[in-house]
Amino acid sequence: MDEQALLESYLVVGALLFGIGLVGFCSRRNMIVMFLAAEMMLQGVSLSLVAWGRYHNNWGGQMLVIFILTVAACEAAIALAVVLSLFHKNGSLDIALWQNLREDNQPAHADRDADELRALPETQWPTLAPAGIEPDHDLDEVLHRTHI
Amino acid sequence: MNELVSVLGLASALFALAMWLLLPRGAAPGRSAGAVLMAVSLGLFASRFPGLGNWANTGVFYILAAVTVGAAVATVTFRKPVYSAIWFALSLLGTAGLLLFQGAQFLGVATIVVYAGAILVTFLFVLMLAQPEGQAYYDQISWGPKLAALTGALMVGVLTLAVAGVFLNPDAENHPQAPFTEAELKKEILADQHMAHLGAQLFSKQLVAVEVAGTLLLAALVGTVAIVSGMRKAEGGGPLDG
Repeated sequence: MDEQALLESYLVVGALLFGIGLVGFCSRRNMIVMFLAAEMMLQGVSLSLVAWGRYHNNWGGQMLVIFILTVAACEAAIALAVVLSLFHKNGSLDIALWQNLREDNQPAHADRDADELRALPETQWPTLAPAGIEPDHDLDEVLHRTHI
Repeated sequence: MNELVSVLGLASALFALAMWLLLPRGAAPGRSAGAVLMAVSLGLFASRFPGLGNWANTGVFYILAAVTVGAAVATVTFRKPVYSAIWFALSLLGTAGLLLFQGAQFLGVATIVVYAGAILVTFLFVLMLAQPEGQAYYDQISWGPKLAALTGALMVGVLTLAVAGVFLNPDAENHPQAPFTEAELKKEILADQHMAHLGAQLFSKQLVAVEVAGTLLLAALVGTVAIVSGMRKAEGGGPLDG
């Protein structure tokens, strides 16, 4: 195999993965999708490192990727704990609800897309025709996760 | 060189436009046009780079790369986060294939086991737990999609130009060394007993780093439990309070 062409091709794939992950991290508002995009950036870097390791006939690249895997596992655990606790605070995965953590001199983000939002088609969910007697409601069940 | 700059610049511009069209922008149209433009842009990127010697290698590489990058684009552009996670799994499988193709057997398998098997499934669990019914409004719109697409395209353009420039221009001061031959690679990085070599490296040269990584995992575990139990206490008691 042409080693130089191999390295070149892998670096390009790595760059594309990194760039796509960057776009996703900057633009998506769902916290979980943001983390998926961050993991994708790590994947791009891993591909490049392994390619360089093979080109230089050296194990260093693969070693680094093993540690990237370790750090990614730690990051995912902590990120999920944080996302879950943020979700429990206000029942939404929207990152814009936490914008009061921004710096003092930054302007607040208002949803300028409000028109776009209003233009969204209403999702139609299937319903069942009511029949029979309405059962007693369990109060605990009614109050559970009312914020969702 | 000029031709290279113009082709890669065109590919990056198309990448930005396609990304902008593909990102969630409410009810705005243009997703299929975005998909076509993205395919053209990726094709332009691919056209600037040489094949891998014979058609079998080249074909396998291009299929794996197309799956990886295509699934990555779908991950960041799909509206439903569950679909995003599943596309990300496909992208990870493509990455694992690319790693195996390069002879990094352990990493290829570890990517599937650790990323697709553990991390991604946990993400899916959290999505199922936390996703409200139906489609949330914040999955339908993005923060400044124009700026984000432009940033990503600039990043990709600069990186690919740097890679292509170094390799295509032998006069550059930092041109790469002559590649190793197949026989030399077989002695070291492509050796028959891959795991034995990898383990020997990991537990001799990198022993301290392995210990540090173990400590990091422990710290992350403790931190996660602390965050989650703090959350339960704020809610008024739970099974983790002991």
